[in-house]
Amino acid sequence: MSIEDLNEGTSEFEQRARELLTQSAEHLPASVRSRLTQGRYAALASRPPLWQRSLVFRWVPAGAAAVLAVLLLVAPHGENPAVSPLAGATPEDLALLADTDALQLGGDLAGDQDVDADFYEWAAGEADPSATSSVGT
Amino acid sequence: MQAFATLLLQTTDLLPAGKVRLRDRTQDSARALETFLAGVERKAFRIAQIALRHEADALDAVQDAMMQLAHRYASRPPEEWKPLFYRILENRVRDMQRRRIVRQRVMAWMPWQGEDEEEASDPMAQAPDLGPQPAAQVESDEMMRALEKAVSELPGQQRQAFLLRNFEGLDVAETAVAMKCSSGSVKTHYFRAVRALRAKLGEFHT
Repeated sequence: MSIEDLNEGTSEFEQRARELLTQSAEHLPASVRSRLTQGRYAALASRPPLWQRSLVFRWVPAGAAAVLAVLLLVAPHGENPAVSPLAGATPEDLALLADTDALQLGGDLAGDQDVDADFYEWAAGEADPSATSSVGT
Repeated sequence: MQAFATLLLQTTDLLPAGKVRLRDRTQDSARALETFLAGVERKAFRIAQIALRHEADALDAVQDAMMQLAHRYASRPPEEWKPLFYRILENRVRDMQRRRIVRQRVMAWMPWQGEDEEEASDPMAQAPDLGPQPAAQVESDEMMRALEKAVSELPGQQRQAFLLRNFEGLDVAETAVAMKCSSGSVKTHYFRAVRALRAKLGEFHT
């Protein structure tokens, strides 16, 4: 007898075996049947609600993770390198930066603890009297 | 503004209908699953019992398989449930068999080497029913016991192929899904199983 013949399941041996097994399943003890029924009800009660079983719900966490990953990749880290610090500078500002003497003065101001601040305030007042009206009063 | 109000009214009208539909769908799905489980539970129990040779373990295995199917695969189309259920059941049976082997090895090292407490706990439950039975029933029971023993002694995949194909009535494709193998392998395992059973049981089929 070939594999194909046997897989039809029609031989007398197979039919007899099926019959016996089916009988044994139909005549299970009451205690076993009761336990199976309890198990079935427990399984049905453990089902998640329909909205949790839907495809949308199952893909929400994955979607949220994907969006978060994209945001992390796209979001700027620290200062935006596309914006130059000199973008709003006027030609006068650039000329001031290019002036090495002015830089030297700035360095002196930053490094020297004994700078006479009153002198510089007075000098500025001389140039623009309205800005330092309080000086000398 | 008026259009918005109309839309709002229409949406409000639709909400209860949607709720009813959702409730109906839930009930239909639960009913279908219950019908399915009620239809397979006895055969599943016998399949697990033949593999495990232990009633309580077989009941646990079937219940676990039911729970897993309901919890994880209830949303799958009902025609996929049966192969999935038997795949889960077989995995559970194998887990239990492995655990039993480990337990037996550990017990072999224990000084008392006691019997399984669960089995020894209720001798009355383990005793065979000696009540009067018709001769035909006795003969049938003996044949059943011989068949059960022979099937349980088959290699795992042959046993699975035989029980799923012959007893549960799955077709070759469904059995292949349940056994996680090809249709060709299912046919081979089934062929070998029947040949081995015939060799063992001899006069059983005459």
